[in-house]
Amino acid sequence: MLAGNDMRHVTITLMREELPRASLVLAELEAFAPDERPLLESELPEIPGQTFRARIRRAWGHLDRLEALLGELPKNDAEMPPLVLQREQLIEVDRWLAEAWEQCAPCDEDLHRLEDEFRELGHLEQSLNDFADLDIDLSRLQGEHAYLDMRIGSIPTDNLKRLREVLALSNHMILNVSGDDETVRVLIAGSREKSDVLDSVLHAAAFQPLAIPERFDDNPDAVREQLAEQRLELERKCDALRNRLANWRDTNRREFLRARQLLEAAEPYVALRGAARTRGTLAALQGWVPAKRLPHVEAMLKRQLALPFLISSRPARPDEEHLVPVPLQNRGLLKPFAVLVQQYGVPRFGEFDPTVLFAITFAAMFGMMFGDVGHGAVIVLVGLVLRKRIGAFTYLFVLAGGSSMLFGWLYGSVFGVEHWLHPLWIAPMTDPIYMLTVALGWGVAFLTLGSAIAIINRLRAGDQAGAIFGPGGVLPLVLYLALLIGLINLANGKGFPLVATAVIVLALVLLVAYQWQASNAPFGERFMTTLIETFEIVNGYITSSLSFLRVAAFSLNHVALSLAVFTLADGMGVIGHWITLVLGNLFVIVLEGIIVAIQTLRLEYYEGFSRYFYGDGQAFRPLRVGRTQSI
Amino acid sequence: MSRIADQAYLRTRLAIMSTNLLSPEQLIDLSQLPLDELSTRSGFDVIKGNNVAQRLATFERALMQTWLDELSALLRPLKGPARRLLTQWASRYELLNIKALVRGKIGQLPNEEIERSLFQLPGFLSLNHDELLNTDSVPELLRHLQKTRYNRIATQALRRYEERPDPFLLDATLDQQFYSELIDRARQLESPDRDETLDLIGRIVDRHNLVWSLRYRYNYELQASEVLYLAIDGGRILNRQELQHILQADTLDEAISVLPASLFGDKAVPKQILLIEAMLRRNLHDRARGLMRRSPSALTSVLAYLVLRFGDINTLYAIVHARIYGIDDAVLSDALDPLHREAA
Repeated sequence: MLAGNDMRHVTITLMREELPRASLVLAELEAFAPDERPLLESELPEIPGQTFRARIRRAWGHLDRLEALLGELPKNDAEMPPLVLQREQLIEVDRWLAEAWEQCAPCDEDLHRLEDEFRELGHLEQSLNDFADLDIDLSRLQGEHAYLDMRIGSIPTDNLKRLREVLALSNHMILNVSGDDETVRVLIAGSREKSDVLDSVLHAAAFQPLAIPERFDDNPDAVREQLAEQRLELERKCDALRNRLANWRDTNRREFLRARQLLEAAEPYVALRGAARTRGTLAALQGWVPAKRLPHVEAMLKRQLALPFLISSRPARPDEEHLVPVPLQNRGLLKPFAVLVQQYGVPRFGEFDPTVLFAITFAAMFGMMFGDVGHGAVIVLVGLVLRKRIGAFTYLFVLAGGSSMLFGWLYGSVFGVEHWLHPLWIAPMTDPIYMLTVALGWGVAFLTLGSAIAIINRLRAGDQAGAIFGPGGVLPLVLYLALLIGLINLANGKGFPLVATAVIVLALVLLVAYQWQASNAPFGERFMTTLIETFEIVNGYITSSLSFLRVAAFSLNHVALSLAVFTLADGMGVIGHWITLVLGNLFVIVLEGIIVAIQTLRLEYYEGFSRYFYGDGQAFRPLRVGRTQSI
Repeated sequence: MSRIADQAYLRTRLAIMSTNLLSPEQLIDLSQLPLDELSTRSGFDVIKGNNVAQRLATFERALMQTWLDELSALLRPLKGPARRLLTQWASRYELLNIKALVRGKIGQLPNEEIERSLFQLPGFLSLNHDELLNTDSVPELLRHLQKTRYNRIATQALRRYEERPDPFLLDATLDQQFYSELIDRARQLESPDRDETLDLIGRIVDRHNLVWSLRYRYNYELQASEVLYLAIDGGRILNRQELQHILQADTLDEAISVLPASLFGDKAVPKQILLIEAMLRRNLHDRARGLMRRSPSALTSVLAYLVLRFGDINTLYAIVHARIYGIDDAVLSDALDPLHREAA
């Protein structure tokens, strides 16, 4: 229940050449989170692998580009023997990938060039259509003229406005424009004297002249045929290039797989960064390992490393507790709840891990607020139907729906109907005041438990003053319970007990005294802050208790919503009646399901977690094989 | 942006943050300190590490982290166009990175060297530099850029590059897109934010247009019409006609003689592009300081602060780089304050 309590700080002393191998073994176990603090800096000053890192990065770069060009390769090969990561192999793979890219890069360039030619051909075909209705010989427009300088071509659409404005300043005109969002085709005319001006501006505007074929005007059909042939020719060239690349890829498939495997095996070593340190041939690795996995880690290292090594472990020291990574509950039933806890924060080392308590109280409150056998069953079914899509959150649906069904039995409610099933406990509408009282009782229990956990957490963190005087500490809790007992007695006509009064006064005096001495402000400000802080502590408990009334309010709300659906359905004909019932129930499930889930989370986060949960811990992120190191 | 609470929040934040800004005199003082003392005095006590690369990297990370924290704090109450305007300004560092990548690839520098000159930015403000670095040629780099939000620019640059490789053309186009988007976003604001931010951006654009137009025209000897094409729309004083009038001059001296006096206030017009740039920067920063304190628009005050902070960060970078790589004090001081040397 206490987060990260079994973590051990581990130092593995080994030979430098075994570092990559050791990092791979640790990554395969997923049990070692690197610690990058320079604890061993004086004995082992160097951080190894700087050149290694640069080489791996470059090799990955080449591999990625080759994959982008050749298409994705299979990720692994069962026939491939497991690799032993060695520097020489990495150098060899890096060199091979660089050479492979060198061989393929010209094809890549050719493919891009062909793409450009395709695009230009498209523009030409478009221009043929643009000018098809004009009685004009386009090839003559582009020829030499004594006084006139005319250009036909395309520019990016974004540049048209600016080009028009600038050309107007040098007395050029844009005569014809057509095109799409990306590119426009233009016909530009101006004085031949200023052709150098036009050249420079058109270059800046990324103008591409169109190569207009001869006889563009006198035989459009022949030109179209010519363009179609050109297109076919380009497609043939493209296919030939792609086939060449595919053959190349198939021929070198094993080398590719080997390269990928080796680079992935090298990734953990890269991810170690400052957690590995060396001096000469000696090296050390530092990190955190869960205690129960230590024997397995040691056994695997013994089995896999050829040279001797030493492994030593110790519990976390008090000064490093804030750095200890905490393993998260990420298995089975608790996984979705762990995710919701992490939305608020990661438990601090040694702090009470609220995941289990959160799962139980979340399910309980959801059921209390939304108790209905039929609706709960639908929620369970939805979770099971969507299990592939929602993964671990299926458990959340099943648990919430199951709790809803359980409370449905207790309330005697099935799809909002309250006479099909005899309530095992009570139908909420029969005694709302009793329901509200129960909800308040639940809130008191919840807050008391939260305060107890907060006190334990603070004592563990060495914050004695916070455990006694802080919000949710011993004194505020005693004051709250005394006030509660007094009010219950008063409500039962027995008056406010003297003992409760004495406890309240004593607790208040102590709280005020603590707040007063904790402040260094001038008298006026000190007086105000003491008053407000103390009021806030007392008031916080009262408002939080009242917050839990919503647990009962939503159970009543469920009955009211169902009644509204039935009333609407009763006003319809037979078909309308059933349609309204089905749609109304769906509406209730979706709307109420979402609202109740949000309200439950709100109570958990603000009335629970904020009271006792620090949530500022570090998540345990172990070294892993492969490229996505979340260190 | 009209909510009084948001305005109050921004004003309070700015009042606190503006104490971090460095005056020109402070920057000069910092540039004369040894590295360790500079590290402590600049407020970034992190220029540590075993080697040059590490020291620069830690300093850069600390500087960037501070800048990001400030940006996040200022963005917090903003929504819609106001938020988009500031995030666009923040993408300025990404712009510098892309320029550095392209220049590095054109100069065929090793990847490690290019990487050293890049700002380390968080994912939401940055492209995947690894992918861009791992390219063999400028066309390949541009093809990678085609898959990003810079796709249109990259497509144009690719066309031009194959015809005639001009690195400054891509620089100019990137700047054009950056300022056009900034101005578009400013135009979506309501008054008084709209007018005030456009005024400030207009001054920045004026400085950029004038300095780069003079460089392109008289140093790189481009045609006046091409320079005009590369100019950015949205200047406060220098519109296209005004620029055309300046750029029709045959020499730099003639061009300087027809510069509008209003650009320099009551000061004499300097005779070199470098000094013109320095004077316009100084004027812009003076104006930004005024706007930061007195603008009726809190958003403009925030933008003015970010403009000043950008200047500070760039100068601090320059100083730390110079100190770490042992650049001569005189060279550094000239680079930081060319006007001072001129006056002397």
